[in-house]
Amino acid sequence: MVEIGHFALVLAFALALVQSVVPLVGARTSNSRMMAVAEPVSMAGFGLVLLAFAVLTVSYAQSDFSVANVWENSHSLKPFIYKITGTWGNHEGSMLLWVLILTFFGALVALFGGNLPATLRATVISVQGWIGAAFLLFILATSNPFARLTPAPIEGRDLNPILQDIGLAIHPPLLYLGYVGFSVCFSFAVAALIDGRIDASWARWVRPWTLAAWSFLTGGIAMGSYWAYYELGWGGFWFWDPVENASFMPWLAGTALLHSAIVMEKRSALKIWTLLLAILTFSLSLLGTFLVRSGVLTSVHAFATDPSRGVFILCILTVFIGGSLALFALRAPSLTAGGLFQPISREGALVLNNLFLTTATATVLVGTLYPLVVEALTGDKISVGAPFFNLTFGPLMIPLLVLVPFGPLLAWKRGDVLAAAQRLMTAFAGTLLAVLATMLFIDGATVLAALGIGLATWLVLGALTDLALKAGFGSASPGTMLRRLTGLPLSMFGTALAHLGLGLTTLGLVGVLSFESEHILTMKPGETTEISGYVLRFDEIAPVQGPNFTESRAKFSLLDAAGKPYGEIVSSKRFYPVRQMPTTEAGIKTMGLSQLYVSLGDETADGSLVVRIWWKPLVTLIWGGTLAMMAGGAVSLFDRRLRVGAPARRRREAIEPAAAS
Amino acid sequence: MLFWVIAALLTLGASLAVLLPLAGRSAVRAADGAHDLEVYRDQLAELDRDAGRGLIQPAEAGEARAEIARRILKAGKAAAAGSVGLGGGSTRALGVAAVLAVPLVSWGIYTAIGSPDLPSQPLAARLEKNPADATVDELVARAEAHLAANPQDGRGWDVLAPIYARLGRFDEAVTAYSNAIRLDGASAGRESGLGEALAGVAGGMVTAEAQAAFSRALQLEPGQPKARFFLASALAQEGKVAEALEAWQAMMITLPPDSPWRGAVAQAVQEANSRLAAAGNEAPPGPTQQEIDAVASMSAEDRTAMIEQMVAGLDERLRENPRDLEGWQRLVRSYHVLGRGDEARDALKRGTAALGQDSAEGRQLAEFSTSLGLTAAE
Repeated sequence: MVEIGHFALVLAFALALVQSVVPLVGARTSNSRMMAVAEPVSMAGFGLVLLAFAVLTVSYAQSDFSVANVWENSHSLKPFIYKITGTWGNHEGSMLLWVLILTFFGALVALFGGNLPATLRATVISVQGWIGAAFLLFILATSNPFARLTPAPIEGRDLNPILQDIGLAIHPPLLYLGYVGFSVCFSFAVAALIDGRIDASWARWVRPWTLAAWSFLTGGIAMGSYWAYYELGWGGFWFWDPVENASFMPWLAGTALLHSAIVMEKRSALKIWTLLLAILTFSLSLLGTFLVRSGVLTSVHAFATDPSRGVFILCILTVFIGGSLALFALRAPSLTAGGLFQPISREGALVLNNLFLTTATATVLVGTLYPLVVEALTGDKISVGAPFFNLTFGPLMIPLLVLVPFGPLLAWKRGDVLAAAQRLMTAFAGTLLAVLATMLFIDGATVLAALGIGLATWLVLGALTDLALKAGFGSASPGTMLRRLTGLPLSMFGTALAHLGLGLTTLGLVGVLSFESEHILTMKPGETTEISGYVLRFDEIAPVQGPNFTESRAKFSLLDAAGKPYGEIVSSKRFYPVRQMPTTEAGIKTMGLSQLYVSLGDETADGSLVVRIWWKPLVTLIWGGTLAMMAGGAVSLFDRRLRVGAPARRRREAIEPAAAS
Repeated sequence: MLFWVIAALLTLGASLAVLLPLAGRSAVRAADGAHDLEVYRDQLAELDRDAGRGLIQPAEAGEARAEIARRILKAGKAAAAGSVGLGGGSTRALGVAAVLAVPLVSWGIYTAIGSPDLPSQPLAARLEKNPADATVDELVARAEAHLAANPQDGRGWDVLAPIYARLGRFDEAVTAYSNAIRLDGASAGRESGLGEALAGVAGGMVTAEAQAAFSRALQLEPGQPKARFFLASALAQEGKVAEALEAWQAMMITLPPDSPWRGAVAQAVQEANSRLAAAGNEAPPGPTQQEIDAVASMSAEDRTAMIEQMVAGLDERLRENPRDLEGWQRLVRSYHVLGRGDEARDALKRGTAALGQDSAEGRQLAEFSTSLGLTAAE
């Protein structure tokens, strides 16, 4: 049945071509029959790509080595879950996943787009069709996952051992849901430019898509970071690696888009800027795909390099980014501007946020591309590492973070900074306390760390203050407060949660960067070492045979200061014979919000083992904070505004006005 | 066949997805402006709620309300002026092209890049099919799967080991032979197989480790051809070509006529001869390739007769030209192997006399004979 999947993929390409042309022509000529082609075609296209993806997954599950892609990336002895995740743990399969998600979103627009103006919906689906056709052609021409081998080999070459991890089940799908989710915003922007006008429902639609894509991207980046943290054995969670930056840039631009879309939705202002951001965000997603997939960058993500692929993606990149920006230059001047506002206002705060975020995006872009450009021009290999980003990105972020709590407290159109500051007095007092407490009780010498802790506290308390004030804290009875709190629109909870999460992540970052301690020592079984008030005892090291690897597994006992057993840590080094590759499996013990991280080094001649131990205070907050941000995005998504805009639904809403707020 | 049916159905479905909306009636749809009006009404309602929460000051709320009202007016005008498009007819050609494009593009591309005749080959099914239809690789994989589940099955390793060696997977052959020896005990066949695999790992060099394995095989079964052959190869590799040649020639004589080793030994003899010739030494006249081939194709009596004749010829040559240690050694051994002990001892005596009892060569001949179990005294 492998060939059914292959055929379905080809058929999906044919449908994508129809989808690119017919609805668009229909929208331009006001032909409703042609516009009506958009929905069934985009849903059928999704069904076909889903079929192709399912067939590929089955081929992996059954170890069908007559499929070249399976042979190259799987092995019959691999645990079943990794056979499944291996489907997208390679170039061809991951591109198929990319297109699957793209067509999925296209189908969603078709399915739930009933309250969109018909021309806008048809044009959006057509633009989705362009992207789909381009990437399906890319897959069929240069990266076909259904290429066959005959005679079929009897055993595969196995998956890169670093990818044989549950992280592969989560990180790429989430990341792609984010990357590709922005394609919908892009399609909406291009559709508005083609139409030459921005419908009022435009922003109502773009904001939830941005929210969803942003939430997924946040989760995908966080998961990738945690994966790198526990799998690579260095205990680092962010390396300013170009591949990481490739996902971080769309996130920064997407965050800006998220905020400018609010202004556009509520006040019909910043329309043109929001269009541009939507185009830029998806362009950065495409750029990320290009950087990671073309083999320009060597990393664990560059599964296989092939110059023809790089050139092909570069063409897609040029056509889409160049084309959309040219269209923008052509049409933007004719778009009408929206609502007015004073510089000091909610709108103004959101513009400031956009300024900081886009500048930060530009900084990361420069830091990521500069080495590539230098290498292309002069052949020199230079690396722009953490120092560059610490010097540029950090100073940009700090004022932004300081300003975050002010934003939600400013009124629309014209705000009052002094009033907002007064209302933040409690949060400010708490912040001062946190700084002083850090200096007094933890370390008086590290002023910067204390200020960092203060900044995080400021963000957390600021988010809570926002909610408390909106509930009428201090001016209403507890009962009224509760009623007002539950009556708040979900998007306000979303804002508070996301800003709270930002504070938690900041706290985690400051905690690890300032107070982390590292010990590297050689240990023999039975020896103990002391770290951060705990005693770690090396019990034994023993060989273990895994399904497709051999492993040296070291057991450690963790004792508290009094010598009582507190827990066990298992850390190991694996060797995967098929790929002849070693991996480390760090032993991690979570205690409260902090973690003890144990990683094994080489064995020395006298039988002792090099052990690296890190004490990582508050480290879990880095990812916990991102979970809160994701939750904030999800909560906002359920806000009722998405459902507004369809004339037919007017009557139903009139019947249940109580549900409105 | 099933594939074509499914492919045709998929194509049909996809074409219908394009065709049906085009062929259907034009839906009467709301003008775009109507959607905008809904949004503006909702913005007004939201503005009131925000004003109630103090999120916007009353004065600004008034301004915003005026802004929205202006937009509503504009949208209302547009809705009144705008036509509810039902579509022109000049686009029929595009519709036909779109419907046709689906089957044409998909079947065109698929015929170019697909492999419709190639069935799926799930590994489990490949391993379960009739062994007679299976390729060697599949049989090996099946045996490996069995051994992965039952690693203590010595017979399984025993079966798999020579196949690995045949496929050139010498590392795995070494493991398999070692496992078979560990589980089922040593035998001449396993030990010599292990030796061969070890030599394979070393790229054909018969290493000390491999030699040890072959020696163990000979202890278990004296005269085992594979062990003898490789030990001779070891001699040749160490530069003792003459000794190797002698060993091979002895094998030639003693190997049963139907032994599969005859060909390999014959070739080795020829190579050794040419190596000796190339080294400048006059090749000790042994049987030539033609003679060996002739031997191989003869009947048993003819072969015995020919060997007798060759031995007699050697004997004759040594009478004329007696200072030839190697010649005497061959002669002694030939008689010995042919079971003519008296003549062997006679040859030993004559050789000792010719080379000199106390000369180095004489002593060497004596030692050689002793190794065969012969002494001049008897």
